[in-house]
Amino acid sequence: MPKFRSSVWLIVVAALCWLLLLLGTLSQGHTLLGLPPDWPRWLLLLAQGGFAASVFLYTRLQPDPLSGHGFLALLLRLFWRGLILTALLVGVQAFVRLAADKALPLRGDITASVGYTISLALFIILLARTLYIWRSLVNFRGSPRLQREWTAFEVILGVALLFQLFEWHTPDYIRVAVITGLGLFGVYLSGHQRWVAYLSQGQKLQAIMLQLGVLGFLTLFLLYLRNAQADPALLTPPTQQAFLILASFFAVFYAVAGLLVTLFNLPIADVYEQRRAEILSLQQLSQIIQRGQTAAEIYQALFTSAVQTIRADAAWLDTPAQPIETTGPAPAAPTHELLPADLVALRPQLAALLAAGQTEIIDNDLLRSQRLVGLSQQYGSIAILPLRSSTHDYGHLLLLKKNQAGFEPEDLSILHTFTTQTVLSLENLQLAQEARISQRAQDELRIAALVQERLIPKHLPTDNWFEISTYAQAAKEVGGDFYDFLHLPGQRLAVLIGDVSGKGVTAAFHTAQMKGIFHALMQPNPLAKKDRERYPDPHRFMVLANEALTHCLERSSFITASFYLIDYEAGGFSFARAGHCHTLYYHSIKEEVSYFRSEGLGLGILRDASYGRHVKNQFWDYNPGDVMVIYTDGIPEARNADGDEYGEERLAQMLGQCFYQSAEEINQYIREDVQEFSKGLPLHDDQTLLVIKFKSAQPQP
Amino acid sequence: MGPIMKVTAQPADTTLTLILDGELDASSAVILDTELNKPELLNYKKVLIDCQRLSYISSAGLGVFISHLQRLQDSNVKLVFYNMQEKVFNVFEILGLDSLMTIVPTEKEAQAA
Repeated sequence: MPKFRSSVWLIVVAALCWLLLLLGTLSQGHTLLGLPPDWPRWLLLLAQGGFAASVFLYTRLQPDPLSGHGFLALLLRLFWRGLILTALLVGVQAFVRLAADKALPLRGDITASVGYTISLALFIILLARTLYIWRSLVNFRGSPRLQREWTAFEVILGVALLFQLFEWHTPDYIRVAVITGLGLFGVYLSGHQRWVAYLSQGQKLQAIMLQLGVLGFLTLFLLYLRNAQADPALLTPPTQQAFLILASFFAVFYAVAGLLVTLFNLPIADVYEQRRAEILSLQQLSQIIQRGQTAAEIYQALFTSAVQTIRADAAWLDTPAQPIETTGPAPAAPTHELLPADLVALRPQLAALLAAGQTEIIDNDLLRSQRLVGLSQQYGSIAILPLRSSTHDYGHLLLLKKNQAGFEPEDLSILHTFTTQTVLSLENLQLAQEARISQRAQDELRIAALVQERLIPKHLPTDNWFEISTYAQAAKEVGGDFYDFLHLPGQRLAVLIGDVSGKGVTAAFHTAQMKGIFHALMQPNPLAKKDRERYPDPHRFMVLANEALTHCLERSSFITASFYLIDYEAGGFSFARAGHCHTLYYHSIKEEVSYFRSEGLGLGILRDASYGRHVKNQFWDYNPGDVMVIYTDGIPEARNADGDEYGEERLAQMLGQCFYQSAEEINQYIREDVQEFSKGLPLHDDQTLLVIKFKSAQPQP
Repeated sequence: MGPIMKVTAQPADTTLTLILDGELDASSAVILDTELNKPELLNYKKVLIDCQRLSYISSAGLGVFISHLQRLQDSNVKLVFYNMQEKVFNVFEILGLDSLMTIVPTEKEAQAA
């Protein structure tokens, strides 16, 4: 521990120098302990200078007494030290006075010399304390340049110590000029009172009291020393005047300047500018949020604000490759004054630190900690802040400063505000984008619905031997139900109805496909020998459709369908059912409502030739007045509030009540009953209802 | 809303019984599909589906059985349903699945099938 060792050495040196000084002072005009009297002047000055130098160096090596914004605590500590040292001074002087008045059995002149030496030591200690506390205040939020200036000031003070030591005989005007110049340097340094801007009103009052106290102690010491030097009773060589004057001048002037700034709230342009920059940056950030711009702009705003406000010497914003589902390119990762070599060195280390679970990294002494290897040695502190929400990682902000202790708690709280704002705006942006995407999906669904709507036959076939009425309602934008008609030559009519399993766009696609298959299969076959064989019968239709679907239907999907081929001239129809709902039929001669309960497997379930065995062709002769009700399962499976299904039975009952009406009236009667049944509930499934009523042929009008 | 169906598997020597409890719709079909997709399923001679507590089956639910039908047949694994509620049986029947799949009234018959 080199620091500890040098501190101890400095104390030892200080003590030895002080003893030497004491002996030297006592030797003036006396023979003491057998030593020769009247020691040379340079020895005394050396002892004095050595003591001052070691005390100052010792104080300099102590850790920075300022932590965060603890300005008042710092002043209070200085005040107490000043008070104790002043109390000791008063005590020593009282002792000396008593000895001089012969109240004590001590030699007055010796006591005076000892008292003076002790008091001088006390003063130097107080001066060192004051100076280095002022150093903390001067360098608060200071630039590296200011730190260098301070070091220069220290060096000059040291040189001033040597001034008297070597008794340089310079002309007075040069000495005055040099001392005035140095004094002006001290005045310049005293202008750095940023800390005052961080005090509240109440704190300012306390600060003023404490500064007044410190000034008072310094004045007391200075007055004493002036009197003591003028005292003829005291035989002592001149003090290290140049050094002490300079140090005291600065100590006093800084206190006075601070007092004035505190008292009159003098604007310290620098600090207020910084505060304004912070406020402006925040405003800029929130404006960008409101305008909802691109991720790249938000990142750039954060980066610029952070670099300007914190006055980072170098910076880098590490953005993920694709932070947000944007259509544009990923935002470039901005850098500021960062050497490419440093970026190369930082990148893997950042990844490693983050992989080790570290999120926020603040290192205010990079040179000592060596936390980041390969980084150029010019940087003293680093701050790495994550841009992270509970769900997303939006990257990291890296800031570098050349000076140590570059990131105060105050800086970090500003940066946290920035990063929080940024994450918020990025999340907002993402939400907006997701909304836009879902809006587009909805638009496309609406278009799909329009396309599907167009697929529904608009012009129902009309003839004088039948009536048709249709009703279809999809539960979602697009549905899985379909139906179609085709008038064939020779007073024939093909009717197809069906339902694709599943819902949504996939199902909607297959309805379009079924429609295509229907129209393709219903093309007249020119090779057919008989007119009746020109079109496939229902069984054949189903087999061909099943085969066509084999290649394009997912394995878990299937389609139910019913196909009817009605022939007016024969007065009957043939039909096949492929897993579809049973057809409801009103038999006008028997005056009876019943279902055609036939067998038949859905399409797409068996995908080989064996399917033909599972579907049947059936025939039925109709009579005028018969009613056929064809529907999809959305009708019988419609539910009421209790979860009960509408059911085939109720459907049959309804037809029994309205069979004598027109096809349109029957359709309306049934669907109103279904709607009444599931009143107030959203549609559970697509519903399709076709009613065909057979009539006696009337002559064409 | 989570799936509203539970599938319990009861393996025996050469028979695996799957007990379905609840409604088999698009969301719960995934659970059943996972169960039927297991490779070890093909090691059994018979897979029995206990439908006593199956209160509803949608087309997506039927789709799961349909999509596994061929695979089970090819591996000589017999799929047998039993204890089916009438409402659910109607759905199988309308689609014509009763001609493809073995649906028996009781567990005893299922074991014997």
